[in-house]
Amino acid sequence: MPASVEETVKEIAAKILHKDVDFSAVNNFKDLGADSLDIVQIMVKVEDTYNIEMVDEEMQGLANIKDFIAYIERKIAEKK
Amino acid sequence: MSLKGKIALVTGGSRGIGRAISLKLASEGADIIINFFRKRSTAEATAQEVQAKGVKAFLIKANVGEPEEVDRMFTEITEKFGRLDILVNNAASGVARAALDLDTRGWDWTMNINARAFLLCAQKAAKLMVNGGNMVSISSLGSRLVLPIYTAVGVSKAALEALTRYLAIELAPKKIQVNGIAAGAVETEALKLYTADPNLPKPAWQTTPAGRMVLPEDIANLVAFLCSEESTMIRGQIIVIDGGATMSPVSSPELKTDKE
Repeated sequence: MPASVEETVKEIAAKILHKDVDFSAVNNFKDLGADSLDIVQIMVKVEDTYNIEMVDEEMQGLANIKDFIAYIERKIAEKK
Repeated sequence: MSLKGKIALVTGGSRGIGRAISLKLASEGADIIINFFRKRSTAEATAQEVQAKGVKAFLIKANVGEPEEVDRMFTEITEKFGRLDILVNNAASGVARAALDLDTRGWDWTMNINARAFLLCAQKAAKLMVNGGNMVSISSLGSRLVLPIYTAVGVSKAALEALTRYLAIELAPKKIQVNGIAAGAVETEALKLYTADPNLPKPAWQTTPAGRMVLPEDIANLVAFLCSEESTMIRGQIIVIDGGATMSPVSSPELKTDKE
């Protein structure tokens, strides 16, 4: 069974932030110590992984990591 | 001025100034390799516009700030075309911070994409320019003027301009012509990222003595000229395109002499 989007995003974030990440303990990527460059790199890696395009304007409406994951799932569904 | 049969790589060639350059070189007859980083759909749209001019378009996704990705890009170019005639170093990024707020990552990110990428691309491109060629770097007036929160980009562009001069001399014996273009504020999507800041002197950027802002097409026209035979004795220059905006410290209509 393929990894869930949440698991995959967690792996990507861990690799880019060079540490274990626990989404349950935080609200957003900044809480994990991510700066704007980290977030861009996470986005690019997610886009490459799922072959989707995340739209900056749509992203601005996302409040937290839960929204971010739901947004990715929506983009993956749209592609199908 | 024809570039018929030439093969051109435009880094960051899908949007803004890069898109205008891709289209202009295509309209002069060159096949275009469009490098892009994020938006494939935008790159595909530009590729279609390029093809509509009767030349080939080829897309390569790569972050030119990453040496491995530059390597991969040139491996693809070598396999697909076997040579290169024109390199336009246009891709740019940057962290918009004041000097005292800049950290090493923001500095490195900006320097790597804006300045180091030209070094890496030029090294690879020079080997593929077996019959000579042309390189043009796209700089910015931020290399010599101080603009708010433009520190990292401005410094990276200064490095890019110095590199342009060094390459121009080092590559001249290989029949490779290298020049740069420093533009004033150009009307693109990227500019909106800066002008969104209310602290910036917006009105000053929106006009020039020439009566309008610089457009991407203005840059593209100069790139085409700098890649043409007609410009062959121009070497290592950074040519300013700003509609005269930085000529005078006084931006007053009183300077004009057309008053009766």
